[in-house]
Amino acid sequence: MDTTVYIRLRRRIVVPPEAQIRLSDVARIVADPEWERRLLPLPVLRVRPEDGHLLVIDMLHIVKVIREAAPGVAVETYGEPHTLVEVAKDGVVKPRRTLFALAWVLLFFGSGMAIINFHADVNMPEVQRRIVRLLTGNPDWHPWLFQVPYSLGVGFGMLLFFNRMLSRRWNDEPNPLEVEMFMYQENVNHYVITDEYRKKHEREEEGRT
Amino acid sequence: MTAAASGFAVAFLGLAAGFAVGSAFVALLIVLDIVPRLVQFTRAHRRSWAFESALLAGAMYFSCADFFRWTLPLPNVALLAPAVFQGVFVGMLAAALTEVLNVIPIVTKRLRLKPYLFALLMAMALGKVAGSLVDWLILQAK
Repeated sequence: MDTTVYIRLRRRIVVPPEAQIRLSDVARIVADPEWERRLLPLPVLRVRPEDGHLLVIDMLHIVKVIREAAPGVAVETYGEPHTLVEVAKDGVVKPRRTLFALAWVLLFFGSGMAIINFHADVNMPEVQRRIVRLLTGNPDWHPWLFQVPYSLGVGFGMLLFFNRMLSRRWNDEPNPLEVEMFMYQENVNHYVITDEYRKKHEREEEGRT
Repeated sequence: MTAAASGFAVAFLGLAAGFAVGSAFVALLIVLDIVPRLVQFTRAHRRSWAFESALLAGAMYFSCADFFRWTLPLPNVALLAPAVFQGVFVGMLAAALTEVLNVIPIVTKRLRLKPYLFALLMAMALGKVAGSLVDWLILQAK
């Protein structure tokens, strides 16, 4: 029988408080069907209330669990060497609706003020009158013909940047905002993982002395 | 030049200017990471459309209101909402700007002030609040 177990950890999982995390929750494994059946339900970790709401499961820990349950298997690991576990009620991260409404209003007023600020800063009304005068030779004309397309243009420019028309996308590429959100989350994950390793290391040092 | 041609030229120029301003505006907000922070706060992942619509609606409504003098007959109390939210927005903008410029990490590293990071942040926030109050209530009171 082939005794190699190929294993890839999930990047991030969400579990309810005090959950029993099993190998099937944190990893995908490819092995002999017999081994798969035996290894997948292995308990990896039980979440304790004092663990906080973010913890890291290390690949080394997984390898240890597998070797204890099945001595003699060779473990081949792929992908990330750790899984980030988020503890949330009922095992799902719920969006916070009130905060979300507040954030919407915040962005609405904020971007509105920012655009007016910008117009005041660059003296936009004077510039518009000047442009209209230069192009039409008509000095006392309210430049609505400039302002209406301009306002529409602001909206289109933003949509162009967000890569979509209403809720339909122009193509499958993620927009810069989504990329930025992803990068932000990646950085946060990276920090959390590094920090958890540091804490673990400190606890071990304390235990030794 | 006929009136129609010059009118078309003006409208085209307006549209082009709007495009430039709109995309630059969004680019700035994205670089400053304000929206990702709010997304994390509200845990509304994969719903960037909702945040985009807020930015879009705000910029469009207020630039139109500014140009065409759209006034709403609201009582004075209604000012509280935009006042608070605009204050928070400017605060976030300022904080994000210092973060992008890496001011605090460099200062704390050079001066070895890492344990006092929170106090430093509070000092910055309180300084901004005090500065804003002094500016509006004393320096620009009239």
